[in-house]
Amino acid sequence: MPRSPANNTLAPLLRQLAGKLGDRQAASELRWMAAHVRKTLGDTAARTEHSGAQYRRARLWRDQPAPSTEEADLDARRFSSVQWAWLRQAVADRVEKHKPLQYILGSQPFGKTEIGVRSPVLIPRPETEEWVLRLAESLAAHHAARPPPPPGAPSPPLSILDACTGSGCVALGLASELPPGAARIAGVDVSADALALALSNQTRNAAVLNNEVEFHQIDLLAADTASRLEALRPGGWDMIVANPPYVTPAEYRGLDADVRDWEDVRALVPMPLRVADELDPSGVSFIERLAVLARALRLAREGALASPALPRLVVEIGGAKQTEPARQAMHDNGFGRTEVWKDMAGTDRAVLGYAEK
Amino acid sequence: MIRALQLCARRQRWYATAVRARPTLPAGSELAGKSHLTAPIHDKLRVLQEKHGNLSQQLSGDLSVLGREELARLSKELSDTARVAEPYGRLLQLYADLVELQQLMGDEDAKLRVFAQEERELALAGAAECEREIIAALLPKDSAEDAGAIVEIRAGTGGDEAALFCGSLLRMYERFAQLRRWKLETIAMDSDGDKVSGAVVKVSGRGVFGVLMFESGVHRVQRIPATETMGRTHTSTATVAVLPQATDVHITVRESDLRIDVFRASGKGGQHVNTTDSAVRITHIPTGTVVENQQERSQIQNKEKAMQVLRARLYERERQKLANERRADRNRLIGSGDRSEKCRTYNYPQNRVTDHRVNFSLYNIEGVMQGTALQQVIDQLRIQHDLDELASMG
Repeated sequence: MPRSPANNTLAPLLRQLAGKLGDRQAASELRWMAAHVRKTLGDTAARTEHSGAQYRRARLWRDQPAPSTEEADLDARRFSSVQWAWLRQAVADRVEKHKPLQYILGSQPFGKTEIGVRSPVLIPRPETEEWVLRLAESLAAHHAARPPPPPGAPSPPLSILDACTGSGCVALGLASELPPGAARIAGVDVSADALALALSNQTRNAAVLNNEVEFHQIDLLAADTASRLEALRPGGWDMIVANPPYVTPAEYRGLDADVRDWEDVRALVPMPLRVADELDPSGVSFIERLAVLARALRLAREGALASPALPRLVVEIGGAKQTEPARQAMHDNGFGRTEVWKDMAGTDRAVLGYAEK
Repeated sequence: MIRALQLCARRQRWYATAVRARPTLPAGSELAGKSHLTAPIHDKLRVLQEKHGNLSQQLSGDLSVLGREELARLSKELSDTARVAEPYGRLLQLYADLVELQQLMGDEDAKLRVFAQEERELALAGAAECEREIIAALLPKDSAEDAGAIVEIRAGTGGDEAALFCGSLLRMYERFAQLRRWKLETIAMDSDGDKVSGAVVKVSGRGVFGVLMFESGVHRVQRIPATETMGRTHTSTATVAVLPQATDVHITVRESDLRIDVFRASGKGGQHVNTTDSAVRITHIPTGTVVENQQERSQIQNKEKAMQVLRARLYERERQKLANERRADRNRLIGSGDRSEKCRTYNYPQNRVTDHRVNFSLYNIEGVMQGTALQQVIDQLRIQHDLDELASMG
């Protein structure tokens, strides 16, 4: 019987992907797709997932070298027809419809957590992961160095608000990185899609969450936002962190189809597109809004709950052109000092506001 | 009793003539059976012993002429040399005893012959013990040998066949690690089915580096590839580099010495793009060392893995620097161990694995490739290594 090459090798799929992604990235993505399909679909999956140890041992008994994970991933002969169908569909979606790989695989690692993703909720970006882990590290150091609480009165956890939580990655990332009891985190978002996803991610990552997390559907642009947020924490907030929408309307029109066709415009551009050109051409209105909210929640004042050495407002920005507007917004709303963090690519990525001078 | 006294007298005479000009084996050593101590090593041991004698004489004399620091230095040297000189002194006694006992074993008196036989057994056991003590005292402790290892395998000349061989080597190490219950973790892998053009794996466990360190070098395979229709034997190579896994204690890397590059399609990053390109490249500026990783979907994880490899490389660099002096010494004695030379050949048609460094052949290629017989080859290398280290002492 003639062997159909398409049934036996990943090469055609690799070529298809390479047309969109280039050779190097195509190979990586196909490897991740193959690993995914092994784990989640078909009888081979059962063999490696549930009885992997037995299977390897059986191979040992027969004095066969046990396969490495990578070998198993790319051993095309071992894909079932269901797995082949999934792979072909995945590659077609990726190449023709520009569906992001993360939506195809259904998740993206973020620090210790695995964040489930589905369109149109914004996919966690590596730049966000970077500043969140850096922030967690400095908060953890602060937590370890805090003065011992008086006996019988344990020091209260930091009350942190994750505005624009989306998939919940920032809130859940902090909750998993910080030492137990260091923080109490609330994630809020205007989108019901996002809220549902954030809640399912909380369940999914329950095992690694050291700190309490809750999610609420709140529109941060509404007039009564400050009072609604105050009602959530009668004892007051210590910090706001956010990855707010910051893409300018002009930039939005030029985005890759991977982003524009699949991710919620509300997570990307701070205002409705029809008015954004006129009202917010530089994409900073949401950052400014957060600075105003922070003042309303009395975060800019010295002598509030937490130590003055902690940032009170941490916002992600879209590069150096937004650094000054973000700092200005913080200074205008009473923050004494600001700091800028760059990402690994050397781009200005987060602005931090402190209450102290 | 008289015999015993004679024995003592001869022993003392022997001591007087112990230091000679040319590499020689001490009398009686040939009676001690298989020994790792060769003539040049014995010469070095004699020098050490003489030094020890001089030191103890110096320190038993008038100490007031020595300064405080001088005194401390000499005392330390005395105790250092004693660790070798004392067991060596005992060993020489035993050699001399063996010579005497050899004569006694030809004696007419049957009782004496039995006595000599028993004494000989004891002397042989004692000599072996002394030798172990001497070797242990001479060998410097390389702390890296306790560490885990980073193993890098790259296909060399020979196209697809080289990549297939590279894959076989990788599986050999995987199996070997499994059998010893070491933890094996893939750091980077460039493969297509059975063909592996390059792989980096991290092996963790106790004493891993001490075992795998001998694997560094060019491995050569001679076999008839499945694709060869004429039945010709092809020769291909793969290079293996084994680095000790550095811990934070071993080496500190300053953040300011690093340049980190990420390969983003667009300069904007953040919300503007949704790239899956998670590759990270780290350059250690002072040494120009560059490491790259794109294995994981998470950029942070790739960065961490790249840092592990970087640490291992920098650590190895440091270690090499320290070891170089010693190695130069040893090479003069035993010949160069050039890393570019092939270190081992896997000949399938002859079912043979030959390690060229120790000139050792094993006719069980399947066993070696399955990881079960690899230890036999490594044992030979270990012995040779310890002896080489010994030869470079002085």
